Amino acid sequence: MEHPSQEVLALHAGGDLGWMARWKTARHLAGCQQCAGEVAAFVELRDMLPELKQIPEVAWNRIAADMRGNIRLGLAAGECVRPSRQPERDTPLFSGARATLALASVLALMVTGLVLEGPTPRMARANEPMVQATVNGIQSRSGDQAFGLMHSGASSVTYTVGAQGTLGARYTDPETGNVTMTKVYVE
Amino acid sequence: MWSNVKTLTAAMVLLGAAGLQAQDVAIPAGAVNINLPDNSPLALKSFTMADSRATARGAALALDLHMSATLRNNGANRIHGVTLRVVAQEVTLGGKGSVTYPSLNVGPGETFQVRIDMQLMRPSQVTGAPLVQVDLDGVLFQDLSFFGPDRLNSRRLMTACEMEAQRDREHFKRVLAQAGRAGLQREMLESMARQSESSQLAVSVKRSGRAVTSAATGSEHDAEFAFLKFPDSPVEPLRGMARISGNEARAPRIEVRNRSNRPVKYVEMGWIVSDPSGKQYMAGSLPSADSDVILPPGHSARLLQETTLNFSAKGQPVNVQKMVGFVNQVEFADGKIWVPTRQDNALLLGVLPPSAEEQRLTDIYRKRGIDALAAELGKF
Repeated sequence: MEHPSQEVLALHAGGDLGWMARWKTARHLAGCQQCAGEVAAFVELRDMLPELKQIPEVAWNRIAADMRGNIRLGLAAGECVRPSRQPERDTPLFSGARATLALASVLALMVTGLVLEGPTPRMARANEPMVQATVNGIQSRSGDQAFGLMHSGASSVTYTVGAQGTLGARYTDPETGNVTMTKVYVE
Repeated sequence: MWSNVKTLTAAMVLLGAAGLQAQDVAIPAGAVNINLPDNSPLALKSFTMADSRATARGAALALDLHMSATLRNNGANRIHGVTLRVVAQEVTLGGKGSVTYPSLNVGPGETFQVRIDMQLMRPSQVTGAPLVQVDLDGVLFQDLSFFGPDRLNSRRLMTACEMEAQRDREHFKRVLAQAGRAGLQREMLESMARQSESSQLAVSVKRSGRAVTSAATGSEHDAEFAFLKFPDSPVEPLRGMARISGNEARAPRIEVRNRSNRPVKYVEMGWIVSDPSGKQYMAGSLPSADSDVILPPGHSARLLQETTLNFSAKGQPVNVQKMVGFVNQVEFADGKIWVPTRQDNALLLGVLPPSAEEQRLTDIYRKRGIDALAAELGKF
């Protein structure tokens, strides 16, 4: 036969078991003199404790009441000496300057990424002689010297490139009506 | 003629511009010297330089020149083309250009107007020489005869333009005869649509090698040309390649063979590039070297140029994915010029720009209508 544990018997003696465990324990006690004796001993012991129960209850209740009073007193004193409610920070977390700085940092990061990874047009060294199309003409340049033939006002311009180092533009002159072909040379 | 007084006046004006920082002064007509030979079929009737200004920018002078001249045909033949050579004095490198007027039709005694707009940036130290020298490089007549020193190979250029002009005028006259003005109008509208739809590359050209170091531009590799072969071309391309790195192409070289029975002295290849999306652009032309080499029938030669071309469109680099070459112009030893037919060029519609004459005729239609265009075709 399997006997209930000492804890279960103690709880049964105090009437603190659940209904299912209480029913099972009572069924066992009906057929087990040994366990029934244990329960009887626990009941007898509970009858001897009324004085012991009262002493700690009184002491703890008093101490708890004192502590609650002290806490309320401290909070009231703090409210008296504080002139007004202060914000948690002197300045908002995202002030104008901070937001600008953060955005500038993000922008700089993006630009750096584009420069390093993006398809960058090749730029010729400024001092090398070269020919190129400008906004309204064609130009040969070398360093700070430049020579350009312009086609201002022309609506449709066709560019022709010679791999030997020439650049040409062809357009209808809006004033004379003549087809005009200009050409500049690398050197 | 250029006089010392005019030279001194021009020099003083420019010195004044250099002294008046950030201000500009007018450039007198004497700052430009127009030189027409005594036996020239052209005579200068009038010349102005209205609104030409010189502005000091730091240690340099920026010159904005607007020249307009009226020239008269003093010869006995009709003039179909004129090329002027423009040289800026004091611009030590790259100070040379040319202005060509193809598709002219100027009879004896008639006048025509030419305009040259220039911008120069040059050191502010002024010498006594004129700012700009304008020389006659060549005059092409209706019968394809030529007058002039031809220092810029303007004879070849204007003759090729004239061949294309004759080809295109014949085409449009045939359309007019067969389909009437409605048919000609349809042709004009199609041509204008092609011109507006074609995409152009912005190309910069320089003589030397790569623009920047390889670390910044990626690896360079040889790319082969594919060829578009025209059945009636006297020259056929055999093979070719260029060094490609991103949007940069350099050192193009193409081997060609003369398959005609006449010696050839100049070949020019058209050069088309495709970007990664497959869009095609007319990139330029690859001519044979300046020093003409006679290519006998059946012989081969190699066209090569030690230049570097950078391609971009709308401010963005255009990476070269494929290259196509085709024979664009051939000059025989006797000076005759071959150009592709319109049927040949039809294979490249949307990529090739129209000829100068087609551009002129569509402009007449756009501004003056179908009747004016029909009348213009009737003059030839």
